[in-house]
Amino acid sequence: MDMHITDIKNPEINHENDPENMSLHERPSISIRAKVAISFSLFFILSFTVTGWSYWILTKLETKIDFLEIADNYMAEIQQARRFEKNYLLYSTDLEEALEHLKTADAILKQKNEQIEKILEKEHFKTMVTYMSKYHNQLVLLRSAKNDKEKELIVPMLRQFGSQMVSFAGEFVEKEQISAKRMFLLAKRVPLYFMSVLFVLMSFVLMFLARQLLLTLNRFMEYTKRIGEGDFSPILPARKYKDEFTKLAEAFNHMIKELDHKHNVLLESHKLRAIGTLVAGVAHELNNPLNNTLLTASMLTEDFHTLSEEEKMEMVNDVINETERAQRVVKNLLDFAREGETAIAPLEIGKIVEDSTRLVVNQVKFAKVNLELNCETNLPRIHGDEQKLKQVFVNLILNAVDVLTPGGQIRIHVQKDQTPGYVLVTVKDNGPGIPEHIQGRIFDPFFTTKAQSKGTGLGLSVSQGIIKKLGGYIHLTSNPDKGTIFTVSLPTTESASEIMSK
Amino acid sequence: MSKPLEVLLLDDEPIVGRRLKPALVKIGCRVEVFENPREAVARIGQKEFDIVVTDIRMEEMDGLQVFKHVQEKWPRTKVIMITGYAKIDLAREAMGKGVFDFIAKPFRPDDLRQIIANAAEALGAPIDFSSMGDELVEA
Ligand SMILES: Nc1ncnc2c1ncn2[C@@H]1O[C@H](COP(=O)(O)OP(=O)(O)OP(=O)(O)O)[C@@H](O)[C@H]1O
Ligand SMILES: [Mg+2]
Repeated sequence: MDMHITDIKNPEINHENDPENMSLHERPSISIRAKVAISFSLFFILSFTVTGWSYWILTKLETKIDFLEIADNYMAEIQQARRFEKNYLLYSTDLEEALEHLKTADAILKQKNEQIEKILEKEHFKTMVTYMSKYHNQLVLLRSAKNDKEKELIVPMLRQFGSQMVSFAGEFVEKEQISAKRMFLLAKRVPLYFMSVLFVLMSFVLMFLARQLLLTLNRFMEYTKRIGEGDFSPILPARKYKDEFTKLAEAFNHMIKELDHKHNVLLESHKLRAIGTLVAGVAHELNNPLNNTLLTASMLTEDFHTLSEEEKMEMVNDVINETERAQRVVKNLLDFAREGETAIAPLEIGKIVEDSTRLVVNQVKFAKVNLELNCETNLPRIHGDEQKLKQVFVNLILNAVDVLTPGGQIRIHVQKDQTPGYVLVTVKDNGPGIPEHIQGRIFDPFFTTKAQSKGTGLGLSVSQGIIKKLGGYIHLTSNPDKGTIFTVSLPTTESASEIMSK
Repeated sequence: MSKPLEVLLLDDEPIVGRRLKPALVKIGCRVEVFENPREAVARIGQKEFDIVVTDIRMEEMDGLQVFKHVQEKWPRTKVIMITGYAKIDLAREAMGKGVFDFIAKPFRPDDLRQIIANAAEALGAPIDFSSMGDELVEA
């Protein structure tokens, strides 16, 4: 495990500049890390705001409570003062007590003036102080009044200022009480709001991230499946931006390139083997024209003077014809074996299949089986690489030859597919068929039931790779008693361009 | 030189018969040429040949089957196999079974003449190979 991790971290592994990764790379980058970071910062900012706000509101509440306490004391004092004032007027008690209480109230205002000012604002505070001092003045006047008449004059003013003072303070206290209550309620509810918003946000982010991760993982699962089936085309961008998965895709593309390379090596080695097999047949086939030429030329020299002109002419013509026959025998194989880059070109599928049957003609003859080729005329052309397609059909026919006993039948049909835009080649034999339990494995590389010197097990795997690359498919229908049918379907030139551009 | 050697030549390549017939006639053989193994086998059923020369690989019936027919019917007859180079193993095996000799394609007319001369000697009717000396030297 550790090794893998260090492998991935290895900075040398950088496939950004590989040509197959260009399209992956030409996108803006939004990494998963960035997404996670953004979501977390959002959460953090949200929590921070809410916490800060709570702190602020609690401090405010604190000052309000402080104020209410002070205001309560103050109210008590001035109410007390008024009570004594009333007593004085009704029962002529001492007025000193009233003044005493007023003094305490004044002290409270003086002492806590900052706190009170903060809440009342300067203006109101001033009004309050003014009301109180007016009341105080009246009280002092009242105390110094000499007779009832004088008193009568002061009392209405005193009452007015007194009640103004009390009601002004009372109003404020009430207002502050209501506002404090409201703040309490808010402070109680905000965590609940916060929780619900957080919950919604979190589920949304989670869903979004999980969906993205899952979708991407699914896509990569598709890729591995596709690669497993031998489709080695590079991964193309599926989203508008890059992230950590882009690195993975780049690594995938690198792997695909390597696999494709390895696949080509296998393909080449399988082809060499096939050529080896075919060469044995061709060498044998060559013996006949060579023998005819040698015999004719020998007899021509031996009897040169006794032969008629006509006979000589016939013999020379035989030599020419047999040489050409030899040329034909090797030409097909040479075409197939020729090295070098081959190109994708529009091809006549019928001719490819016919050439393939001609390549294996000796193997078919040795095995004493019959090969029948049925080709629809006027088939649309297909896109493909001539040699590689021949390699596919040669392998299919040789596979059939290998399982047939003398007298067996191979039937090849070339026709239009029922799916429009495709042509179909079926290679059918009446051999023993393929047992069900190995049907799933015959396309695996190196799977073979043949002796080591006879088969490498690369044929079908390589063939599948070739056909898949051309946008076609190859599949198998086999029945233990009725033999085997391999079906190859290939897109025609018109549809091929569409498929390739997908 | 008494009776001529009776030779049956079977090869599905027509040119082989066309060229070898005059070549063998020159060394005193009487040659019948066949391209079709069934017709050849039918003829063998009728007539005892001294020597049968047959290709080993043919479409309908192979040389070994022809050899079996000959062996059953005329045990005295010498059979010579013509083979492709690739089938030399098969030919060796055939020799173990009683085939007189084999010759691999491509060969010269003289190569076959030599083997036929050997067969004639084995049959106790040697042919005078040197009577053809002049032509052979030229060849
Ligand atoms: N027509 C068929 N009938 C029965 N079995 C078949 C047929 N075609 C293929 N098979 C089975 O599939 C296996 C794989 O075939 P494949 O062409 O991939 O490899 P191979 O023929 O064994 O080796 P190679 O092609 O390299 O010589 C064969 O070994 C054989 O068991
Ligand atoms: Mg095979």
